Amino acid sequence: MAPLDINDWTSQLRRGVLELCILQILRDETSYGYEIVTTLKRLGPLAAGENTVYPLLRRLKADGVLETFLRESPAGPPRQYYRLTADGRRRLSALGKEWTAMTDAVARCIKGERP
Amino acid sequence: MTTDHPLVHRYVSAFEEALTAAAPVDRADIVAEIRQHIADAQAAGRPLDDVLHALGPVDALARAYALELAISPRSAPRAPRGGRWLRILGLVALVSLPSFIVLTVLGTIGVSFTLSGLAVLIAGLADASGTLPAWIRNDIGPAAAIATGVGLMVAGLLSGWGALAYARVLTRLVRRVLPPRPGRP
Repeated sequence: MAPLDINDWTSQLRRGVLELCILQILRDETSYGYEIVTTLKRLGPLAAGENTVYPLLRRLKADGVLETFLRESPAGPPRQYYRLTADGRRRLSALGKEWTAMTDAVARCIKGERP
Repeated sequence: MTTDHPLVHRYVSAFEEALTAAAPVDRADIVAEIRQHIADAQAAGRPLDDVLHALGPVDALARAYALELAISPRSAPRAPRGGRWLRILGLVALVSLPSFIVLTVLGTIGVSFTLSGLAVLIAGLADASGTLPAWIRNDIGPAAAIATGVGLMVAGLLSGWGALAYARVLTRLVRRVLPPRPGRP
């Protein structure tokens, strides 16, 4: 069996948290695809390819946690913006709690705590 | 416009075709979004080659959409057509009779009690001020008429409120049983 490449590991890890980060980015303001992709890119390790982020955005919409709406753009056709739904806010707070509990546990584990 | 670039046109057309095979919901919106992404990235100064390379081969991109949308619990065939009709039928069978009775009774009481209460109240007030027309006879005295009128109105309004509350509960129930179809605004 081939050993798990560190890049594979990182990308698997990222997959799970990407949803949390997208919801968080959209918590206080609406945004559109390119802006979300570049925001994630600036966050270094979270940089997922656009071929991951765009399909994920559509899934979050199909799940009912995001919704799209059109807004006029200064140039070109109206742009599709994303915003959180009420379900999305609930999901964000649930995922946030999960994430905090998870990172706490991982940090304690790495420190060598064995309760 | 940048989208007229032949490379962009070719990429977007091929993607649209690949996406048709994958057939997820929101197809037109997805294609528009990818086209917009290319335009945005170019506007930000990224070379077109890089932009298209980062998006990857159209087949892979279309497959990524198909995979994401297939694992989505709401876009999965949770409510196939037959199931949906069956549920509508079930809902009608279950709630139509009680709804008819509750809404008719509460609604009738609400309207009739409120209106007649108002009439009795006005008559009582008129009697108290001595302006009650001669063709109306008040056997219970002005104070009792006013109290009766107010009582009737309160009962009527409560009943009307009950009808509205029931209608709200019913709407929520219908939404729960028949969620809006995915991919429709």
